[in-house]
Amino acid sequence: MANPVVELENVRREYLVGDQVTVALDGVDLVIERGEFVAIVGPSGSGKSTMMNLIGCLDRPSSGLVKIASDPTSELNDNQLTSLRSKAIGFVFQQFQLLPNTTAIENVMAPLLYQGVSSKQAKLTATEILNRLGLGERLNFDRNRLSGGQQQRVAIARALVASPDIVLADEPTGALDSKTGAQVIELLKELNKEGRTIILITHDLEIAASAPRRVFLRDGLIERDERGAK
Amino acid sequence: MKLLGTARLALNRIWATKVRSLLTMLGVVIGVAAIVALTSIVDGASQGINKSLATLGTNQLNITAMAPDALSEQDAYALAELDGVSVMFVQTQNEGTIATEDKRVNARLVGVSSQYFEAVKPDIALGSYLSDSKFASSAKDVVFGADAANDLGLTASMLGQSVKLNGQDFRLVGVLDDQAGFGTSGRVYVTLDAARKLFSQYPYVSSIVVQAETPEAVDALQLATDKLLRERYGLGADTDARYTITNQASLIAAVSSITDTLGLLLTGIAGISLVVGGIGIMNIMLVSVRERTREIGVRRAIGAKQSNILTQFLIEAIVLSLAGGVVGLILGEIAAYFLAIIGDWVFSIQLETVLLALGFSLVVGVVFGVWPARTAAKLEPIDALRFE
Repeated sequence: MANPVVELENVRREYLVGDQVTVALDGVDLVIERGEFVAIVGPSGSGKSTMMNLIGCLDRPSSGLVKIASDPTSELNDNQLTSLRSKAIGFVFQQFQLLPNTTAIENVMAPLLYQGVSSKQAKLTATEILNRLGLGERLNFDRNRLSGGQQQRVAIARALVASPDIVLADEPTGALDSKTGAQVIELLKELNKEGRTIILITHDLEIAASAPRRVFLRDGLIERDERGAK
Repeated sequence: MKLLGTARLALNRIWATKVRSLLTMLGVVIGVAAIVALTSIVDGASQGINKSLATLGTNQLNITAMAPDALSEQDAYALAELDGVSVMFVQTQNEGTIATEDKRVNARLVGVSSQYFEAVKPDIALGSYLSDSKFASSAKDVVFGADAANDLGLTASMLGQSVKLNGQDFRLVGVLDDQAGFGTSGRVYVTLDAARKLFSQYPYVSSIVVQAETPEAVDALQLATDKLLRERYGLGADTDARYTITNQASLIAAVSSITDTLGLLLTGIAGISLVVGGIGIMNIMLVSVRERTREIGVRRAIGAKQSNILTQFLIEAIVLSLAGGVVGLILGEIAAYFLAIIGDWVFSIQLETVLLALGFSLVVGVVFGVWPARTAAKLEPIDALRFE
């Protein structure tokens, strides 16, 4: 393979809380190849949210190197980081986080519009993806008229629409019942089979078990890096 | 994202929160409406005053007696001989009574010399004036100002009928329009000859009006007039005279400077309410930024740059303020229309007012929108996403 899409080299991230330095990640090395389906697993406080923020280009390391699609992030300014994020990362959040006062299709169009794609083209691409995810009938529904599972599918469509290198899913099943949650995981698996890199952040071992590779975090360090089905 | 797309986001949000948006606009609406209405009142009022003053002619000097025996008919004839005088007329006036068979009221009786009506040309509502050519034979004719005619209850059918002035019979030949000019309305006009018999002030007069051949010659004529009168009464250059000379043009200038100042003052006060309106917008926008912190975080996560967020919130503030400006402009013009009817002046929408109203509300939107928009743009994406 040897086509790394995420590279963490001795990454350290500390926060200053009051005058107390808290170490969230304590020198972590991790490589994720293109096309992998990886679960990052750990209890709260393990550093998995920090890792997600770093991979998602929402944050920069205190020291060490984060490379996303071979681009180092440490030296980027806010605009460059946004630009990288917009082309490399698709986010799926626990609470779906659909935009208020906007329809399903407008949500999915937003990342393309922010990239400067024309609204006509964005509409076409968004419609195509929503159709594929079985939401063709609900393009103009706003979030109040969509069930949790539908909202999460809209969110996944939004994460995919700009063809990012990585889909970063933060507890994507956390706000869903187990049946709908299982459907979302199935969808992520399918997307992975089509070649997408999926990174799933979860505290739930059962959910994590659906990923072929599982990275366990504890106290800011990688405790275990498992591969293969369980 | 293109500007148009960002503008649509802002408009969607405003539309989604209609009631709140309307309430937010209210301050600007009131401020702009107040500015528009007040500007129109001041314009209308000064229009009216200037029109009244202009009926007297801008190349005219009024010499007014400050004591009953300060000016005489002889002074007037001497002034008429000065270089550059085209018209001269004399007024003498006194309180008196006017009466019909069944009504009797007090009025100001004014005797005028033959050139008065030709020079002033007041608008006439009924009948005719005491014309120059017929002046000699008009010694028993009277022309009423509009208010005086109303007070006595005169109607068109009474033209040619007899009215009593200080108990003497006169024939009503005309009534002036109530727009005829400054101060004509409550007066009753007779010839100078008739006035001599009605009130015995001869040879003294109340005022003399001399008209220069051109408006440019007025200032020189004013000096010459003062010089001549001082000579006739043996007054030194430093002694206070018992008459005043008013230059019509300078009176108009003085009045417009008063109305301009008044206008500035009123607009300033209205401007304060506009600023308060702007603070209202800023306040709501800051609340809105806080409420929408998560949304901002999500937008940043899915690729919005700081500039996108800044633009979105700034446009929202500007649209609120501009929409308030437009609504305020419309309400203000409607108010101005009715004020014009009440105040009896001409209603017109001034381009200047429209630009002023829209310009001000645009500036208010930008000035008071920048801080909330910057606050929104400066939010760190992770903090914004984590915000509960």
